[in-house]
Amino acid sequence: MTTKVRIAQLSCGPEYSGVQKEIEEAAGAVDAEIFFPDLKLSDIQRDNALFGLDVRSPDLKLSIARARALVDGRVEADAVFIATCFRCAEAAIVRNELRRYIHENSNLPVVSYSFTERTTAGTLLTRMEALTTIARRRALLAREVQEGITMGVDSGSSTTKAVVMQDNRIVGTGWLPTTEVLKSAEQVIELALQESGISRDQIQAIGTTGYGRFLVGQHIGADLIQEELTVNSKGAVYLADAQHGPSTVIDIGGMDNKAISVQDGIPGTFTMGGICAGASGRFLEMTAKRLGVDITELGPLAMKGMSREVPMNSYCIVFGTQSLVNALAAGSSREDVAAAACHSVAEQVFEQQLQEVDIKDPVIMVGGTSLIKGLVRAMGDLLQTEIVVPHHSQYIGAVGSALLASGYIKGE
Amino acid sequence: MAKVFIYPVTSLILSDLVARFGHKPLSAAMQIRERIQTAGLESPPLQVTPEDPKKGLKYAAVEVPSGVRGRMALFGPMVEDADAAIVVNDADFSFGCMGCARTNELLAFLIRTRGIPVLDLVYPRTEEEGIEFVAAIRDFLAGLEGK
Amino acid sequence: MAEYKPRYVGTVTKYVFVDSPDMTPSDLALRAYEISLGVMIKETCFGLQITGKESEVDEIINRLRSLDPVHIFVKDRGFPPGDPRRCRANLGGARPGYYGHEYELTLIKNVSKGLEKLPSRPPGAVPEPPVPKTEKKLDVHTLKKIIESQES
Repeated sequence: MTTKVRIAQLSCGPEYSGVQKEIEEAAGAVDAEIFFPDLKLSDIQRDNALFGLDVRSPDLKLSIARARALVDGRVEADAVFIATCFRCAEAAIVRNELRRYIHENSNLPVVSYSFTERTTAGTLLTRMEALTTIARRRALLAREVQEGITMGVDSGSSTTKAVVMQDNRIVGTGWLPTTEVLKSAEQVIELALQESGISRDQIQAIGTTGYGRFLVGQHIGADLIQEELTVNSKGAVYLADAQHGPSTVIDIGGMDNKAISVQDGIPGTFTMGGICAGASGRFLEMTAKRLGVDITELGPLAMKGMSREVPMNSYCIVFGTQSLVNALAAGSSREDVAAAACHSVAEQVFEQQLQEVDIKDPVIMVGGTSLIKGLVRAMGDLLQTEIVVPHHSQYIGAVGSALLASGYIKGE
Repeated sequence: MAKVFIYPVTSLILSDLVARFGHKPLSAAMQIRERIQTAGLESPPLQVTPEDPKKGLKYAAVEVPSGVRGRMALFGPMVEDADAAIVVNDADFSFGCMGCARTNELLAFLIRTRGIPVLDLVYPRTEEEGIEFVAAIRDFLAGLEGK
Repeated sequence: MAEYKPRYVGTVTKYVFVDSPDMTPSDLALRAYEISLGVMIKETCFGLQITGKESEVDEIINRLRSLDPVHIFVKDRGFPPGDPRRCRANLGGARPGYYGHEYELTLIKNVSKGLEKLPSRPPGAVPEPPVPKTEKKLDVHTLKKIIESQES
């Protein structure tokens, strides 16, 4: 049996929101355990004075002192989970500052989360899995070269992707909308194999990721079943040739968005949000449908438009669509509407998620939405940087899986 | 015997003095005990379930964080039940059930709005202040007789 | 969610803290065991936790208090002793409420002194304690005058 990954919890409120059990259940599901760094009262007083953020809530003071104990090495941990109540301003300030402080002053992977009484273990699972992977599998994540013949399958909420790789090259790809999870996976695998001219029994190792990773992974006998936060980071820096040094990975998915601060290919801090569908690929799909274009044409259309010509607030997919309909009715051009939709999604991701990670160049956009040029431009404008979109960026999870799976070719 | 709400709700000093002078302290422990000893859905560590923040809507609106509402579901009913309250105002490092400043502010306000007798104090820093502190509590509690 | 089956239903648990020059927590424990009346007594670094029917627990506490009235302090506890949900060994660290105790214990000697000295003071001889401070700040006109006098 492997040793449990020890995750230090810095928090205010979960016990009184009735969700502490959910946090512990999520940790338990990935063979980790939650613990609370032990301190003395005098440590708390001293560490708060030294940290210099003067908050009123005692539990936040306790969190600050615990963070300092972790950074100083007075308490040992493998990872850190910061959790405070959603909608608490005081806690949000502490949560962000502690995440940054730990990230900058230690090698501990950190994830922060703001919960409500409705938060469940299921919601937290992917985040906990990523934390434990980073803590437990540093050797696996250190892989920089794909070897042998491997396959990666990414069973996402909107689309299913597969790639076959051989000797550090992508030799076959498959891409389809997700309908039935297993059927879609089988079909994309078939497409990727056909394109590569490689038969299934030649595949030496398989990795799966995405929402359907467990189901698909068990069905096809995957060697590696891994959440998409670490896999996509790995895939992104691999494809963008940015495996060393810092980078930032943005993945606007069909159902949720990921913003990951990466160092040497390993995620340091990350956020995974799905506050509302207005900031997702799904909203862009709806926009394309309303404009009567294929999603692949939305990007080029947006590149011809000016986003500021159309007021749009996509904080909710319903209101976003309303703005869109209103703008068209008022005579706005389809190009401007397309550009405004891209800007709106980028803005929401920027406001809600990118504030929680440290943006360092290169900023790499991946996932299907990275092919929508208008969205990439809007994000680049907001971040005031040139965004990198690597080749095969829509296959990011599948590529990351295939790359990491080569660590499982027999004998390794 | 009067029911006296104590603030901080976890205070050993206040709990002891109220009981010592013959009254019933209303403290966090009693609410926690009730939950710990009642069958229901399993929700460690405190047996506060996601239902509690919903009960807390009685005291704070839905845009108030769940942790505030969950805590208020524990302490609000005690304030409503109290005949009097003793409040120590400078409990900076009182953790646990008093961990959230926003809850503590709301609780302090709720005590005022009840209109019950309230004794405001600070922790005694010297022996002489200790004498004054104990005397004030003793006299306050004596004034509650017959309630 | 799993069904929760409570243990120790109908009992109370109380902490007994001792902070005395004449009595250690283990002295207190020895005396408690002598009069335990069959209730559960657990020794801790600061004193005891006593669990049982409320009347029995109160009876023991009254007898213990009489040993050193001004240095023994009592409060309720929500959990029975050694409960894994609140046990330091399981949490990896102290439960959050522990720091509140640690803080109050730094001040409790002043309360002991109050309990000790108060009976000998004549009624009305004790001044009101310092209430939360509402000291007046310097009014702005005076401040202005001070600034002007410094500048000239």
